Amino acid sequence: MARWGFTVDLERCVGCMGCVIACKAENGTPPSIHWMKVVEKEEGEYPYAKRTFTPLRCNHCADAPCARSCPTGAIVKRPDGIVVIDKDVCIGVMACMSACPYYVPYRWDGEDGYYGEEKVPYETVKYAEFKKGTAQKCHFCYHRIDEGRPPACVESCPADALNYGDLEDPESRINELLRQKNHFRPREELGTNPSLFYLTGKGGGKVGGGK
Amino acid sequence: MSKGLTTAPFTLELRAQCHWDWKVAFYLYGAGSSAGLIFLELLLRRWNVIDEATALWGMWIGLVLALVSLAFLFSHLGPSARWRFLYVFRKPGTSWIARGAIIVTILVLLRILILLPSVPGFTGLPWGEETTAGALLRAGAMLFAAAFMAYSGLVLSSWNSIAFWNTPLLPILYVAYSFLAGLGALPLVVLATHGGEKLGEVGSILWPSLLLLLALNGFLLLIYLWGMATATVAARESVRRLVSGAHRWSFWIGVVGVGLVLPFVMIGLATGQELANNPATALWLATGCGAIQVGGFLLRDNFLRVGVYGYPV
Repeated sequence: MARWGFTVDLERCVGCMGCVIACKAENGTPPSIHWMKVVEKEEGEYPYAKRTFTPLRCNHCADAPCARSCPTGAIVKRPDGIVVIDKDVCIGVMACMSACPYYVPYRWDGEDGYYGEEKVPYETVKYAEFKKGTAQKCHFCYHRIDEGRPPACVESCPADALNYGDLEDPESRINELLRQKNHFRPREELGTNPSLFYLTGKGGGKVGGGK
Repeated sequence: MSKGLTTAPFTLELRAQCHWDWKVAFYLYGAGSSAGLIFLELLLRRWNVIDEATALWGMWIGLVLALVSLAFLFSHLGPSARWRFLYVFRKPGTSWIARGAIIVTILVLLRILILLPSVPGFTGLPWGEETTAGALLRAGAMLFAAAFMAYSGLVLSSWNSIAFWNTPLLPILYVAYSFLAGLGALPLVVLATHGGEKLGEVGSILWPSLLLLLALNGFLLLIYLWGMATATVAARESVRRLVSGAHRWSFWIGVVGVGLVLPFVMIGLATGQELANNPATALWLATGCGAIQVGGFLLRDNFLRVGVYGYPV
């Protein structure tokens, strides 16, 4: 069985936010909800100041704190490692939001669309897929994955900064990248065992703690 | 509106959680204080410090407080999901919320069972105060009350996402605050059931205990903040926001001033001059006890508001 992983090449990301828009277009998330974010950080001082960009999304942790903290069992891990929320079981306790160190989940309580109270037809269709008062987050575009297509954010990235693949397959693109480049996993010290790797430059080596 | 860090700019900064608000704080305060009240009542009744009427009234008040705080918790749930709250019991193996839901439900049921024989029409039930079944029910209630007091801290300290909460000292602090609020509520119950005269009688035990608990809570709070001020970046930021940031007025005036110093001075002055035995000072002392409740709620509220996540990367 595959275990889907994700890489973000921090050297390649130019902060275009293409992944943010692609995610929104694919999943139709409301204005205040972002399953994909690209956060900026200013470093150094003039004349050596620079801005770095870090795409953030659900890490689909192997030991997901959101799933552990959920009292209803609404957050489940699929056999392929993708962590999904069952909106019919979620009651909106928001424990997952407090427990996630990456502050990934949101709770949607219903709200206006991008153009005010009246929603455009696209929003009407997409918002109907959400349930008021329940948590939601990135689901790795599992509907695309199941069809053999890449997640929308990966497909849209113009700089090839985002990649995905099967961590169990030594020949997969993601394992190739991990062998080629230095990498780290976010907040690994918390024991969440994330499936997301940030690539930081030449070097490479073992897949974080794995192979 | 959505909940979560919905309005947060796309910049890498330390961010405080903003979805667990005053409603959750009131639940943690109300249900915790109610658990502290029932625990102390049953204990003091066992030692014959308070009479049966006070114990029963206290239990009614505690039950109402617990139910009101649960109502606040329900209103915090999702708008269309709250009627499926029974799902909350499904995963006690890993979720402290589920464990807490089980504990608070059993505690409420035990209280109702203990109180039933005092309700007209149910007086013949075989688990009155003097019976073995009654003693077992009371022992069970004390056990689950202690468990709930601990739970109110454990639920937050079990998450390592927010460093300010992630310490074993938090359950200890919350247990101490639950006892303080419970003991602070007891004089109010005595005052409501018997008036100022009775308050003077039980005061010889209540007031010194209350002063001791106030001092202990102040000490625990100091240790807690001192520990967090030397911990991780996120924990230090939480302490900064609490003691000198946006929440400083609520913390210093509400939690420390109104919640600890004011009642300590009021009760200390009253008992020092033996005014506690004077019914005329009952209102003065009741104000001190009320201030303890305000401080107990504000502590939970402030601790939730300054819960800062670490950097996500």
